[in-house]
Amino acid sequence: MKDFNYSAPKTVKEAISLLGSLQGEVKVLCGGQSMLVLMKQGMLAPEHIVDIKGISELDYIRFSEEKGLTIGALATHGAVEKSPIVKEKYPVLAEMEDNLAVVQTRTWGTIGGNVCHGDPAADPPAVFIALSSKYKLMGKKERIVNAEDFYKDLLEVDLEHGELLVEVQVPPMPANSGVAQEKLMVQKGDMGIVGAAAFVTVNPSTGICEDARIVLTNVASIPFRAKGSEKVLIGKKIDEKLLEEAGQIASEEVDPPADTHGSEEYRRDMARVFLKRATAKALQRAQQKN
Amino acid sequence: MEEIKNKYSILGKRIPRVDAPLKVQGQAKYAADYEMAGMLWGKIKRAPYAHAIIKSIDTSKAEMLPGVKGIVTGKDFGGFKWGWQGYTRDETPLAVDRVKYMYEGVAAVAAIDKDIAEEACDLIDVEYEELPAVFDPFEAMKEGAPLLHPERKTNILVEYHWDFGNVDKAFDESYLVMEETFQTPKSAKGYLEPPSVLAWWEHDTLHYVGAKGSPYMIWRILGRAFDLPLSKVRVISPIIGCDFGGTKNDGHALDFSACLLAKKTGRPVKIVYSQWEELTTCLRRHSMAVRCKMGMTRDGYLTGLYTNCVADGGAYARMSVVSMYLANGFNTVPYKLENFRTDTWCVYTNNPIAAAMRGHGRYHTQYAMDGVMDMMAKKLGIDPLELRIKNSIPNPKPGETYYTVNQVRIGSCGVKECLEKSGELFGWDGYKKENKVDGPIARGAGVSASGFLSGARLTGHNSCSAVVRINEDGAVNVLTGATDVGMGSDTAMCMIAAEVLGLDMSDMEIKRVDTAYTYPDPGSYGSRVTIYAGEATMHAAEEAKQQILSAAAKEMDVAPDELDIKNRRIFMKSDETRFMPWLQAVRLACYQGNGNVIVGKGVSRRGVKPAVQAFEKGIGDTGTNYGFAAQINEVEVDLETGVARCTERSSMGDDCGFPLNPTIVETQGIGGSYHQGIACGLYEEFIMENGNTLNPNFVDYKRPRVYEAPFPKFHHAITQDPFGPYGVKECSEATTSTGAPAVISAIYDATGVMIKNMPATPEKIWRALKEKKAQENK
Ligand SMILES: Cc1cc2nc3c(=O)[nH]c(=O)nc-3n(C[C@H](O)[C@H](O)[C@H](O)COP(=O)(O)OP(=O)(O)OC[C@H]3O[C@@H](n4cnc5c(N)ncnc54)[C@H](O)[C@@H]3O)c2cc1C
Repeated sequence: MKDFNYSAPKTVKEAISLLGSLQGEVKVLCGGQSMLVLMKQGMLAPEHIVDIKGISELDYIRFSEEKGLTIGALATHGAVEKSPIVKEKYPVLAEMEDNLAVVQTRTWGTIGGNVCHGDPAADPPAVFIALSSKYKLMGKKERIVNAEDFYKDLLEVDLEHGELLVEVQVPPMPANSGVAQEKLMVQKGDMGIVGAAAFVTVNPSTGICEDARIVLTNVASIPFRAKGSEKVLIGKKIDEKLLEEAGQIASEEVDPPADTHGSEEYRRDMARVFLKRATAKALQRAQQKN
Repeated sequence: MEEIKNKYSILGKRIPRVDAPLKVQGQAKYAADYEMAGMLWGKIKRAPYAHAIIKSIDTSKAEMLPGVKGIVTGKDFGGFKWGWQGYTRDETPLAVDRVKYMYEGVAAVAAIDKDIAEEACDLIDVEYEELPAVFDPFEAMKEGAPLLHPERKTNILVEYHWDFGNVDKAFDESYLVMEETFQTPKSAKGYLEPPSVLAWWEHDTLHYVGAKGSPYMIWRILGRAFDLPLSKVRVISPIIGCDFGGTKNDGHALDFSACLLAKKTGRPVKIVYSQWEELTTCLRRHSMAVRCKMGMTRDGYLTGLYTNCVADGGAYARMSVVSMYLANGFNTVPYKLENFRTDTWCVYTNNPIAAAMRGHGRYHTQYAMDGVMDMMAKKLGIDPLELRIKNSIPNPKPGETYYTVNQVRIGSCGVKECLEKSGELFGWDGYKKENKVDGPIARGAGVSASGFLSGARLTGHNSCSAVVRINEDGAVNVLTGATDVGMGSDTAMCMIAAEVLGLDMSDMEIKRVDTAYTYPDPGSYGSRVTIYAGEATMHAAEEAKQQILSAAAKEMDVAPDELDIKNRRIFMKSDETRFMPWLQAVRLACYQGNGNVIVGKGVSRRGVKPAVQAFEKGIGDTGTNYGFAAQINEVEVDLETGVARCTERSSMGDDCGFPLNPTIVETQGIGGSYHQGIACGLYEEFIMENGNTLNPNFVDYKRPRVYEAPFPKFHHAITQDPFGPYGVKECSEATTSTGAPAVISAIYDATGVMIKNMPATPEKIWRALKEKKAQENK
């Protein structure tokens, strides 16, 4: 690993001014779970590292009925997994964390680090997008962006030089809605070979699907919004046949990579299977709430 | 069985391991933990081609880098070549004029820290001319294929053609004959401790502390490499963090480079491989294509077997000559078989080197044979467990032996008991009637049984010696040339010495090999340690005991054979009230004897005489005795995704003769080999592309944890082998061989598809299911 300059600010303010003043290649380091891998492989060799893991003001998980859930960038996966309010109001996030990595990574890796890494296989971005979440960014000024718009390309996100992600904002769950996440793991805790997060709302009297937001992971260079599939579901009563149709559409629309874990062909079919599984589960949850 | 269990005061008991407290407290010192004043860090410069001529190496820029203290290249070893035997010496410590596999070492640097050494490697300019390469052993066998070792004129590293009985006739007379080809993957040893070495020269003697399971192998090799008398090579063994064969058996670029860099710089040099180096360049298990043809009667009795094996040996020979023997040497166990023929090749390719691994050789043919056996059982409508039980070699009566058609001598065989008990523990009867499909999930169960040698007698040098030293305060040092690489043999040796001497485990201390003081020993492989070092330790302890008894007898005015030792007392067997305290007897023996210490020496000579016709003809008793095992596993298969996983339901029976320490046997069986066994069935595989390893890390290269494979239920079959000390034989090589076939046949049971190129990854199962569906719809 190449040498670098290291600093560890203790407040957001300090971090922002430091990030603004440093010349050359600067990287923010948080839990290092993703970044150190790249550095050890020589794929990343920044001149300056600004370690934000000590900024305790960003380590929180809060909930209010009006605003919904806000997760500070420094909240760890483990904290989300174990949070009683998450379990109560957004159990899908706790379920997701239970299958995310191993306990060591969950204990040290952060939500901020995960969503900023820009890995299309990551779970939290997909679930956040399905839930219409927003990210709060802080640099010279504050910005709020839709989680969905944050992802630009493989490992590329909408962060400007000197900007930090400070918070993930998850809106309250609408009435008659359900959300679920499923992924294809060879072993528990694997990055999904393919994954799906699905959010649906159902009219309790007609049983008709009024809204659907479905996001697939690891099938494109960014989290993949399965818009074609959503379209066939919205406005209809979802049954097995319709689900199969939605799944088929997804398998055609995705642009999956091929790697040691699966070919493109396999991933396409798994996009179908997991879109169906996640959506069916979300639907069941939406119906149960009635 | 209770009788045997109560025969001893220490043996057969669940005694805690002697190394456990050190290991769990983080105090155990492994090779990578050793440091010295003035020490330098070394790093290997590696070639980015799988096959290329080295045209020039320019180290001048690297030498100028501040902090660099020395650089060596392949030429600096003066043409030294090494290999397992004289005729397989085909490898140099670093490539000299040609690299033959991706990332082979071409130079090494010593610098004041790791980062500088690494940077210096980047500054070494090597000019290559890329050569055509060959990665598939079948291609490599063809005329005109690029030659790995041009002086040999062929890429065939070794071939065996053996013939026993009359296989063709047997097939002609069989009710059913089937033939299928199975392919095993390239797989990692998977130890967590990296290969590491610290080397220095002191008083003209080469000192070497390294992670080696067979320290005397590297001792001899280093003696030749540096042209030193063996008296001036001192190999000191730290605690070893696993071996499983391969890089930790013999040498690799780091071993030679550290020694030469230390010589050149006059300072200690340490090299620790990264996990990436280990997984891309270190020795891995062979991959092998096994075409297996089997004949059976209408009732499912085996009539004949033919195997045709082609293995990828990688760029250098290493132990492949042995691996290929072992691949077929025990195809005649654990089932009765009168007709057997094989044609077997191992071929050089431009892949990383293949070598020994737990279940050595056996595991490949085991997979193929079990696969064919299950397909035949289905055709014949015979239960696969019943089929195996009825073909099992029976346990010979005391005093009798069973000889296989290739002259393997079996004094005890508990395979039938292992199969029957595994069936009981699993609940095999009745399993068939359970409903095993739930939504997209289908369950199924599979069985496998195996046998493996203990105490390999394949070449010379297999004797083993031990010293038991009783100090003036009564404390005992046990010393053998054997090495505990994690399997628990240090504990077994202490238990044996304590049993013989009538002492407690707290009186025992065992140190590891220091070639300046311990007896030479071939090392930890071939499941040889407990039976050979165990026998040697038993004799050494007996000799020490005799000295104590003689001294006490003189003082007590009785004959030594009237005395025995128990609970730190030397007592008269006929009158236990007449005794002498242990310490008094020790003092007497110390001062009356030839010094201030009692030294008992023991040797096991069972391994001295090799089976000379083994390799060429397949004939002979190459083990001292043979362990047996059976295993049953249930898997769940997701029919939509192809994900298969083990359930909580599994069982294993193991016949290691007599479990000296049942807990250790169980951890070797259900804890160690179980996961390693099913790993190749479901998970482990190096994915290769033109000689490049695409998944050289333990995130992309999957290995099962306890979540994926909960521990099986376990049965000890106690057969008291006549040829092992206290009746013991190997444990965990047979059980390493049964894991993969058990899960593969469980998938077959659940889905009707036989995966013939394990591991059964989700995509492979998904494809197979798709094909099956297409077939059915035709
Ligand atoms: C073995 C293993 C298994 C894993 N399995 C999964 C899995 O199943 N599912 C899954 O989703 N993830 C998985 N991960 C990824 C894991 O979730 C992330 O590595 C972790 O959450 C990243 O957080 P971190 O704090 O360690 O980030 P770091 O590694 O420190 O940073 C990651 C990136 O984000 C940037 N960054 C970090 N924080 C901020 C911030 N506040 N503002 C701006 N930029 C920032 C960094 O500059 C860097 O580019 C796995 C990781 C490992 C090591």
